[in-house]
Amino acid sequence: MAGVSVSAVSKSFGVTEVLKDVSLEVRKGEFVSLVGPSGCGKTTLMRIIAGLETASSGMVTIEGRDVTNIRAADRDVAMVFQNYALYPHLTVSQNLAVPLVMRRLSALQRMPLFGRFIGDAKAKLAAISDETKRTAEMLGIAHLMDRKPAQLSGGQRQRVALGRAIVRHPRVFLMDEPLSNLDAALRVHTRAEIVALHRRVGAATVYVTHDQSEAMTMSDRVAVMMGGEILQIAAPEEIYLDPADLRVASFIGSPKINVLAAEADERGRVSVDGVPTGLLAPSRGPVTFAVRPEDIAPAGDGIPARLTHVEFLGDCALLHAETIGNKRPVICRVAPDRRPRVAIGGEISLWPDAAKSFLFDGNGKRVSAAVAKQKPAHV
Amino acid sequence: MSDAAAAAYAMAPRERSRARSLVGDGGAAWLLTLPAIIAYLLMILLPLAGVLALAFTDYEFGGTSFRWIGSENFADMLKDRTFMASIRNTVIYCFFVVPLSIGIALLLAILIEAGARGRAFFRAVFFLPVVSLTVAMATAWQYLLHPSIGPVNAVLRGLGLGTPNWLGSSDWVLMSLGMIGVWENVGFNLVLFLAGLTAIPRELYGAAEVDGAKSAWSRFALVTWPLLGPTLLFVIIITMTRSIRVFDSVQTLTQGGPNNASEVLLRTIYQEGFHYFKFGYSAAITLVFLAIVLAVMLVQTRLIDRRIHYG
Repeated sequence: MAGVSVSAVSKSFGVTEVLKDVSLEVRKGEFVSLVGPSGCGKTTLMRIIAGLETASSGMVTIEGRDVTNIRAADRDVAMVFQNYALYPHLTVSQNLAVPLVMRRLSALQRMPLFGRFIGDAKAKLAAISDETKRTAEMLGIAHLMDRKPAQLSGGQRQRVALGRAIVRHPRVFLMDEPLSNLDAALRVHTRAEIVALHRRVGAATVYVTHDQSEAMTMSDRVAVMMGGEILQIAAPEEIYLDPADLRVASFIGSPKINVLAAEADERGRVSVDGVPTGLLAPSRGPVTFAVRPEDIAPAGDGIPARLTHVEFLGDCALLHAETIGNKRPVICRVAPDRRPRVAIGGEISLWPDAAKSFLFDGNGKRVSAAVAKQKPAHV
Repeated sequence: MSDAAAAAYAMAPRERSRARSLVGDGGAAWLLTLPAIIAYLLMILLPLAGVLALAFTDYEFGGTSFRWIGSENFADMLKDRTFMASIRNTVIYCFFVVPLSIGIALLLAILIEAGARGRAFFRAVFFLPVVSLTVAMATAWQYLLHPSIGPVNAVLRGLGLGTPNWLGSSDWVLMSLGMIGVWENVGFNLVLFLAGLTAIPRELYGAAEVDGAKSAWSRFALVTWPLLGPTLLFVIIITMTRSIRVFDSVQTLTQGGPNNASEVLLRTIYQEGFHYFKFGYSAAITLVFLAIVLAVMLVQTRLIDRRIHYG
């Protein structure tokens, strides 16, 4: 069953169209990342799921219920904001309690001083206090309960924000770049914690990030967004190994995929700078040839290039080169002992692995390619 | 040229340290604050000491001699009907103007902030009374509130309601002045509240919404009110002191009348000092006035400040 389903949602702010006919389905208990460069509409999509923004057209359902016109407070979603959005005047324990207090106590019972004496408010507050304590213990922030957010470190604030989101067991869990304000070491650590937390909570989770490594390492599926569209949604391996769009291929992977202009002849044979690559395109004409840095290596009779820079990284070396024909930059990731014995500025020949190379048409859409023959690569 | 510049640059720290060794770090600090200290002494402490001394004399302006009369001036005040009326009126005026002008300003600020457009326009409209001169605007008020030809009473007459003599009857005069005071203060408070509201992070309202704060009231109680605390304290203090100091509208519109019904503290001080030239007595009232202002500020900062969260 779908935890969250977004169908054909569009959103415009004035004349700018931020989302164009976006559809997305997140199963119960699934972790889906929305990843893309800033301004691609990923945060807007999340805010539409949360109910903080209304879609110009389209529908949002949560566990089968149409919530398109239902406000955020009634959607049973929880959200972790980029800057945590903790209430600065409340202590940690009060912050954690807010979602429960707002839902369980009446407006009268929430009144300061004497509200707690109305009806069953006392019993409810005691239950809330127990639940917040349990959540705090789970996140390891039980010793911070009486502090105000200003007295916490970034990582601690982040935990409080997470706690406030999970304390009432929401159906949908939304996170808007929750790690972007943490330092690099803490980020990697918290990444694993969020995944573990997600497995325990089991809610459908949508995670917005611009960091591809977060999206790739944490998610069950990754949705790559650009220009207000979802270009591809698939498991991380598939996104990497089988990109549907040149923009997806370029966005995912570091260093970036190598993109070279290529030409298919009347029999479909694809060549780069006049060198046959061993790929067969379905039709004749110009195509875009792309290959990941680890799938292209120096070998004889390949694409001629000039070595511009070498980065030694320990377990591998990155060779930066420029093709001689089209002057396009190419990066190869090779084992350190396979670095060519050529000085910077010297000529090398690069041989792409045809089976792991991709072809894209003029619009950046993937073109199915067959491997004709692979010349044996000789060093 | 560049050599010379380099030499000067190299010299500078040495020069600086020589200057410092002459007076020391503490001495330098005193030297730098000296202009402010002198100004403070001349402009504030010295006149205050003068007032303090005068308050215990029977000095009258132009007089050649004076006597030290101890606390006689203060004893006189208790018997002075005008003074007692002015204290009473000032208190009533404050209790009328402060809550109303703050409440209305807060409401307007929230409405303006929530509105999609016209923010600058409304801000300017409501701020106009603050920059316009009360003395000049008094003419307009005099006309508006005129018992027979004023538009206010014309409207009331049209509605079949009573037509009070706004500025001429002792039952209404304080309220009329109070309304003018509210009109004067709302714009100022509004601008302060607008600044305070803009400083509240938008994300907090999103969080409140997701956390289940459904009504506008609950979002106000959860986010706006507590985060507006520092602004509110400042606005209360400013409005309080501004209304304790009310003078120009009273002086131009009613001269404290009728029958002391709109006599206020500052006007009494002015009247005693510059009309009857009783400088000693006037100084004594000024001391009372200062004591009230200080007490109000002390109570506010002590009581409210403890409950306020700053950033």
